[in-house]
Amino acid sequence: MNVWMQQHPATLLGLVIWAFGILWLMPSRRPGQIRSQRIGISIAAAGLLLFCGSFGKSTSDLASEVMFWVFAAGALGCGVLMITSRNPVYGALWFALSTLSTCGLFMVQSAPFLAAATIIVYAGAVIVTFLFVIMLAQQSGAAGYDQRSQQAIPATVAAFVLLGALSMTLQSAPPQFVRVEIQAPVVQEQQAGTMMTLDPNKPVNPPEPDAIPNYLSRADYKTPVGSLKGLGRSLFGDYLFAVELAGTLLLVASIGAIAIAPRREEGAL
Amino acid sequence: MPELLITLITIAVVVGAIPGVCNYLILLERKLSAWMQDRVGPNRVGPMGLFQPLADGLKLLLKEEVIPSHVDRVLFLIAPGISVFTALLAFAVVPFGPVGDASVPSIIRFIIAPNIDMGIVFIFAVGSLAVYGVVLGGWASNNKYSALGALRASAQVVSYEIPLGMSVLGIALLSGTLNLEQIMKQQVDGGILAWNIWFQPLAALMFFTASLAEANRLPFDLAECEQELVGGWHTEYSALKWALFFLGEYTHMITISFLTSILFLGGWHFPGIAEADSVYMGAWLVKLLVLISKAFFFICVMIMLRWTIPRFRFDQLMELAWRVMIPLSLANLLMVMFCAHFGASRWWLLPGSLMLFAAWGMISASLRDTERRAKPGYVRKKAVVAHDSHSTSHSSAH
Repeated sequence: MNVWMQQHPATLLGLVIWAFGILWLMPSRRPGQIRSQRIGISIAAAGLLLFCGSFGKSTSDLASEVMFWVFAAGALGCGVLMITSRNPVYGALWFALSTLSTCGLFMVQSAPFLAAATIIVYAGAVIVTFLFVIMLAQQSGAAGYDQRSQQAIPATVAAFVLLGALSMTLQSAPPQFVRVEIQAPVVQEQQAGTMMTLDPNKPVNPPEPDAIPNYLSRADYKTPVGSLKGLGRSLFGDYLFAVELAGTLLLVASIGAIAIAPRREEGAL
Repeated sequence: MPELLITLITIAVVVGAIPGVCNYLILLERKLSAWMQDRVGPNRVGPMGLFQPLADGLKLLLKEEVIPSHVDRVLFLIAPGISVFTALLAFAVVPFGPVGDASVPSIIRFIIAPNIDMGIVFIFAVGSLAVYGVVLGGWASNNKYSALGALRASAQVVSYEIPLGMSVLGIALLSGTLNLEQIMKQQVDGGILAWNIWFQPLAALMFFTASLAEANRLPFDLAECEQELVGGWHTEYSALKWALFFLGEYTHMITISFLTSILFLGGWHFPGIAEADSVYMGAWLVKLLVLISKAFFFICVMIMLRWTIPRFRFDQLMELAWRVMIPLSLANLLMVMFCAHFGASRWWLLPGSLMLFAAWGMISASLRDTERRAKPGYVRKKAVVAHDSHSTSHSSAH
């Protein structure tokens, strides 16, 4: 870690300045005090520029470069606006826009299904539920405690330490990305009445990768994940254990939620 | 760039045609309603009232734009835009004609974005964003009735998205793809006995019902519910902004009708006149007309349902989603999975679906009965009858 700090002082400095700018922008604890937004925005922007500049240049083509920066700026900007807006409804909406920008990033990385699923789950269901709760809870305008941020300093510090750890991992050990040759989708002339069959050209048991990265899942780098079929096969084949584990966790959570919800006799709706 | 040119032409045609079609759908709705209620309907503007939509459109365009002073201005103005934008965006992956047919002139393409691998998922993703128009419009209006409408809309849409998505999963399993063009092609190639409605009748019913709820059509229009909420989420809206909301709703109707025809009724296939191998002069036009007539049929069904089934109560609406449609769609999906895994014939799914429907009807009836008995104020029927006869005999004695 010390080595990383000496080698990348710009990254560290950028992170600190950026964190300070965000902290400045957060709605203050005392309702009367209003800080100048311009100062906060310029500090945060300076830190962000320093942080981004300390990374190496990317090698992708211009179109995806432009799209990456547009979506990344959208996601970051909307995220900052989400935590700094005083109105909870606007906060939820900025959250939705930030999610949509992230889905744009997924699209650029040619993961359309991930993008669509994220839109359905987050923008379409979770944030709509947030809006529902906000509107139901505050029909007479936002309460005072909702207009300022609670625990601003610990939250900012935690978030930026996490970001620093991520950038340290990225900078000190660039991962060896495995280039996956995406095969052209095999269009099978399927007769109606016959079920989907596996591609006969493909071996049933693909050869084991050299190193197993995780005992819970067996990632198969040879499966083309770009297509929906490949994604499904990977999710319910290579990562079956993780998927089942997540499903069990969600089931337990929903049983718990039903158990602690008040019954009708206890005065619920 | 001919590909880009074709895409631009298709977009222009679709975006140009949909508002006109929506306008005339309103006339159709008014005429059909009048017919069902033994009235004449609009008949003043033009022959048989045919120019009424034009007059209405002009009125909505030229009306004064009223923005009340107490609204949240930004969101108030954005909300109708979101409604139209999402509804039109969803139409981008819907094939509205014989896509890929050899006889079609190469300049015409019946889909804006062809070969989208996850067509249905895209439609669901965009459709799930459509509720923002309603929710934001209702909240920004700063009006109790609008807020209530928006609350109802958000709960309703989140609930009905689940059965909507799960009812299509069966078809995705059967066809092995989520691409709408592929699903249509498989049904067309297999003839009328390959239409998905034979294997998934229950899913078709649930899909249609859930999408009615997504589109806020009666009997699911709790969000605007005139008798209780004035106009619901659009109480404060007027003129063109109000019209945009309804443009979104009618576009949604068109999308649903096309989707139901494509997913369950074989797309442009019709035995005898529009088969996969029918090549005659203008065959593609006939195929286009077949698909459009199927969609038109579903639009008429939606309009007539409006005057047939009364509006649900809100708890009934939620009960329908959570206690009927979600378990049923899960059971239906399980059935398809069993069928696929053990390689059984698809035709088992037809009696299976009907049995599932009947069984769930009986289960929910008995559940309802048990629930009623468990309530504290429950009085057994026999006692009520005895009491009634006693009182009548008592009064007659006097």
